[in-house]
Amino acid sequence: MEVALLIALSVCAIIAAYAAVRVVLEKRPLRKLPYLNVLSFAISGSLLLILPHPLSIVVAVAYFVGSTLESNAIASTYAGGIQKDG
Amino acid sequence: MLPDFLRILIAAPVCWILYITIDVYFKLPEQGGVSGATAIAKDIERGGGALHGGYMMGNIVSSPDASAGTLLASCGVTAAGIPGGLFAALLVYIGNRICYDPGYAGTTGAVVATFVVFGFTQIGFAASDFVAGMVIAILTIQGLSHSHASRLLATLWRWRS
Repeated sequence: MEVALLIALSVCAIIAAYAAVRVVLEKRPLRKLPYLNVLSFAISGSLLLILPHPLSIVVAVAYFVGSTLESNAIASTYAGGIQKDG
Repeated sequence: MLPDFLRILIAAPVCWILYITIDVYFKLPEQGGVSGATAIAKDIERGGGALHGGYMMGNIVSSPDASAGTLLASCGVTAAGIPGGLFAALLVYIGNRICYDPGYAGTTGAVVATFVVFGFTQIGFAASDFVAGMVIAILTIQGLSHSHASRLLATLWRWRS
């Protein structure tokens, strides 16, 4: 692996580990989500740096959008979920 | 050619300025795009942060915005050059629609970042520097101190409005 890729990957991996620790230590569920967001960024980046191939772009975007949608759903549920009329 | 670490340390503020500018331009700090983003903003405000900064942080969590666009475009350029970056922009556009986001901050961010990252690769940077740079840039907003980051974003929003 190229040195530039390896260093970039190390930075992503260290930040991913840090964000994971912050997610665990944070008590309030809604405040965990921004840390989880950092974790998703770091993992998406790591995915592509481990396997730099055009199809990896699809993998990274699919992972990232999926994780964002989950955070969106969790946050909306805590906010009260879907409000039904009547 | 600059040392690898130094290139990443230069790429990080470039990414930071790029996505914050586009997000603030697209009025992400104005209000929560979905109820979840508003809930995150109110929670951050209760923890001593600023509401409008919280809205922007909530919106970043809830849908791929310019920061996600910058990361994924950098990934695209790393894997396949400009076509890879533009392909990532298309996927971000689809991702926005999946997340019920009617805005164009993510797509715009990805297209602009594609050309910015490509420009930097012409002067000795590697596209992978921007992947790591963007992860550092998002860490400074979402991963260090929510109250300080939200107050900084609220100040930038006051300048915009």
